[in-house]
Amino acid sequence: MKVPYSWIKEFLDIEIPADKVAEKLNTTGIEAVSYKFGQYIPGLTTVKVLSVKKHPEKERLLITKVTDGKKEYQVITADQNIKEGQVVILAKTGAKLPNREIKPVTFGNIQSQGMFVSLQELGIEESSEGIFVLDEDTPIGIDASKLLGLGEEDIIEIEITPNRADVLSVKGLAREIGAIFDIKRKEKYPIVSIMQEIIPQIQLKTEKTYRYRGVIIKNIEVTQSPLNIRLRLIKAGQKPINNIVDATNYILLQEGQPLHAFDLDKIQGQIIVRQAKDGETITTLDREERKLKKTDIVIADEEKPIAIAGIIGGENTKVDQNTKNILLEAAVFDSISIRKTAKRLAVSTESSYRFERGVDIENLPNAQDKAVELILKTTQGKAVGEKDIYPKPYTPKLIHLREKTVLKVLGEVILKEESKEILERLEIPTEITDEGTVSTIPAFRKFDLEREIDLVEEVGRLKGFDNFAPSYPKLSLEGFKKSEEFKFEVQARDFLRANGLTEVVNYTFVGEQIYKTLGIEPPKIRIVNYLLKSQSIMRDNLAVSLIQTFQENIKYQNKDISIFEISSAFFPKHEEIRIGILVHGNIIKGYKYTQGENQFSTSVTWDFLKLKGLIESYIHSLGIFDILYKKTNIPYLHPFHSAQIDIQNQNIGYIGKIHPEKAQKLEIPENTYVAELKLRYIPRDLKEEPLKKGYLYTLYKQKDTVIFKELPKYPSVKRDLAFLVDENLELDKLIKALKESSKLIDKVELFDVYFVENGKKSIAFSVEFRASDRSLSDEEVNQEVENIIKQLQKSFKGLTLRV
Amino acid sequence: MGLKEELLTLKEEITKNLEKASNIQTLEEVRTQFLGKKGRLKHILKTLGKLSPEERKEIGKLANSIKEYIEQQIKEKENILKNLLLQEKLQKEKVDITLPSFWLDIGASHPVISTLVEISEIFLSMGFSIEEGPEIEFEEYNFDMLNIPKDHPARDMQDTFFLNNGMLLRTHTSPVQIRTMLKRNPPIAMIAPGRVYRKDADPTHSPMFHQIEGLMIDKDITFKDLKGILKIFLENVFGKDIPIRFRPSYFPFTEPSAEVDIGCTVCKGKGCRVCKGTGWLEILGCGMVDPNVFKAVDIDPEEYTGFAFGLGIERITMLKYQIGDIRILFENNMNFNNQFKGLR
Ligand SMILES: [Zn+2]
Repeated sequence: MKVPYSWIKEFLDIEIPADKVAEKLNTTGIEAVSYKFGQYIPGLTTVKVLSVKKHPEKERLLITKVTDGKKEYQVITADQNIKEGQVVILAKTGAKLPNREIKPVTFGNIQSQGMFVSLQELGIEESSEGIFVLDEDTPIGIDASKLLGLGEEDIIEIEITPNRADVLSVKGLAREIGAIFDIKRKEKYPIVSIMQEIIPQIQLKTEKTYRYRGVIIKNIEVTQSPLNIRLRLIKAGQKPINNIVDATNYILLQEGQPLHAFDLDKIQGQIIVRQAKDGETITTLDREERKLKKTDIVIADEEKPIAIAGIIGGENTKVDQNTKNILLEAAVFDSISIRKTAKRLAVSTESSYRFERGVDIENLPNAQDKAVELILKTTQGKAVGEKDIYPKPYTPKLIHLREKTVLKVLGEVILKEESKEILERLEIPTEITDEGTVSTIPAFRKFDLEREIDLVEEVGRLKGFDNFAPSYPKLSLEGFKKSEEFKFEVQARDFLRANGLTEVVNYTFVGEQIYKTLGIEPPKIRIVNYLLKSQSIMRDNLAVSLIQTFQENIKYQNKDISIFEISSAFFPKHEEIRIGILVHGNIIKGYKYTQGENQFSTSVTWDFLKLKGLIESYIHSLGIFDILYKKTNIPYLHPFHSAQIDIQNQNIGYIGKIHPEKAQKLEIPENTYVAELKLRYIPRDLKEEPLKKGYLYTLYKQKDTVIFKELPKYPSVKRDLAFLVDENLELDKLIKALKESSKLIDKVELFDVYFVENGKKSIAFSVEFRASDRSLSDEEVNQEVENIIKQLQKSFKGLTLRV
Repeated sequence: MGLKEELLTLKEEITKNLEKASNIQTLEEVRTQFLGKKGRLKHILKTLGKLSPEERKEIGKLANSIKEYIEQQIKEKENILKNLLLQEKLQKEKVDITLPSFWLDIGASHPVISTLVEISEIFLSMGFSIEEGPEIEFEEYNFDMLNIPKDHPARDMQDTFFLNNGMLLRTHTSPVQIRTMLKRNPPIAMIAPGRVYRKDADPTHSPMFHQIEGLMIDKDITFKDLKGILKIFLENVFGKDIPIRFRPSYFPFTEPSAEVDIGCTVCKGKGCRVCKGTGWLEILGCGMVDPNVFKAVDIDPEEYTGFAFGLGIERITMLKYQIGDIRILFENNMNFNNQFKGLR
């Protein structure tokens, strides 16, 4: 809200500079800035139009003669509304407007000595419909910049938090400033006489309207508002319309009370304030036809709705140039109802904005009378009747503020006398009691001052939070709790970075397309009011994001990639913290080096086994060693180059190469590998236990501790054993069988695998034999090897020992 | 020529030969030639028997001293040659120590996560615990129980993403307060770092961002304690002399509420583009837990008080690293990410 400082001064005798006021407002809870209205422009003068005639050649141009009282000027304008007798602003040759400098110009051989300006050209309005016309009695030949207050008038712009509806007016802001600087607020009450000749016929048929007062004013004339009113509105950021509408807007800004004027002659019979009927329609002042619901409040006559209550008026009863009689409405409607309707219809007006936050019900007649007074100052006419329906008059709430509560919350001793003084500066009548104070909450603060704590805040903020010295609480160890989950993730992150992977943070929502391309079902949880369709699905795996990150990086020409993300995947009843990894290309990008026998190439490229090794190494770092790999059928992975990772028969993730067909569709290289590990289970239901099966953290928490084994006392005997086996045999099984085949086997190490012809492969192991109670003899070991081969041949058909 | 002369000639000869020996092999030849089983010294000594006992004694003594001398000489020469050999070997093995290295380089940290971890650890070390909750939340925990009733303008402060399952993406980490208070009794000192979501996207707003929520509840927690804790925190992140101010503000779940500003880290308070000329940067929101929140979770506000605060991690990250556009944080362009290798 923008407020000219001079307007505030009508309510306060204050000489403090505007910037100081703004600064203080900030530190007591209202965000405020101050600045000057526009910029001073030299060379602007007020002139009277003496004559207007058509340009002989240029069809759309008018030639005018104007005077500043001393000198006549010939000015050419395209504004068709210019009329003899008007006083307008002339920017003389040499005047520097924000966007241009005025130079003498000729239009079809006729020279123009300057230009009439609009507010837009002065830089104080976004867009203007035409040149700015002053009042006819405005003195001519004076500095128009000064007249408008350009570069001179202080504007204070504030932004309020939703609880401070009471500051949404010039008067309310003045009240706040008065409290801050301890200056008593003043007010000039309206002097109007409203006859009781024609009483408005009003029926209140909804409980959602708390007060409704109508005043009939007859025999008015709709004209332009006087300059001072128009300037105030302009400086407050509003467009003047006509004297009637301007008066309602002016009072709305000044008092915070929304008002509406109906053309009385367009109303059929009585005014009925009621709930709308479902499907009922009204064309509003912005020329939109709007469909109503029964939850909306409307102002209606006996035939039709004539306004959407508290939000916007109807076109059908609009005040226009021919209006002679009006019904001036002032009301208070239910905040929630107004808010719902405004939201649904997507209309926000100065009026709805205030009703949503709360309007001072007690100030209603005062504000409305000020509007009547203002209208009758701008036109002849007569207020002939008034009706005020106020079923439940405001009964103020009494709130006690105890000294001990102030101390308990703020930690500062503030005596009750001081609290009383502060609250009374805020125009909240307050008395001293034994324990503290008791305040009578005025209607303008009934929205945010409901409890003792709310008064604590008032006292605290006016005293100034910065005036309280910090203190340091004694932390009660009773509440101490280890935060292992956090450390678990930090460690994972440190491990992965130490292994050369870079951390990324992706949005957790994705589009449908990536799921389609990968050939997997998109998840069901969707954002209803998404910003972008490509950010509307809550992902159920991290691969969808990591793949897109890779695609983007290919565009940035980053072809080698080693990335990870520790983040969430979403499911109907729970969420999962996962590690997602995507790698492609070089882990180490090196160079070839040859110096005699000294020769090396330093590049190392990602492949399945390296990524598998990295993941194993991470799992080992958690003290978990029994990892099983099983064939998996994840559609976006290579069917024979991917695996699911199992620990204790629980699937905790997968690893694999992107399916070549998908890689092609995704326009990413074929040798791209992804992996996901399920770290933790996050339930949504408060009662559900997060240590679920199938998560690394759970396994980590439940694993057995390491128990030290005695070191071997006797030496081992080594044998190299090479087997010929079927080429499809999974090595894992052979290794396991070999290890279990003899109690004397201490260690088995694979050292050679090669595929020979005729469907066989050769597998060579180095096997270490050891007994815990004696040294083994060669004969004993030879005997054991024979036994082992016999055993293996039983389980693996066609296995032979190579010699 | 007598034996004595023969021995002395031998000594001279050997000395010459030793000088000439240029490698271990020739040195070895010299050794066998003079000292070996069939060597010349042995040969001379064989004739010793022909001499009288006196002469034998004298010549024997001389022969021994010459032998010792020669052995000594050979050893020295050997050492010299071995050293030469070693030097040669070392020379051969020389490496250009300025060659690019060959090892895995550390991966980069994401600056937002790095900041999140740093801040979390400050609070951890002060004795706060870390709590968490789901990102898909119940409206009740995200709004209602935090004293943000339906159809209250306060809900407009946070533009919410609603989901087709009737839930929403949490708009702040505050529902974790509620979850924690429902699970545990005071005293509570917790923080909740995490992802949050708002329907907003421009250079300073991202639809997904990170927050840390803090909550401390006990029998005597005051607004001044809140100031103390936040002072420690801000000084640890921004340095000991950072100016701090508390401005009264409004949040539905705290009363009184305040917004905390720090002196602009870019212009040191003189006023610049980053601080919009004010010299101050808004850094976090905080306040005393509203009694309505306590009532919602069944904690007696007459017995307990507490404070809560919430801060946006991206904002602090952007200030720390002078990043102007929030969106670059989530583009994951390696050219950006890899600038942060040195972060924890
Ligand atoms: Zn600055």
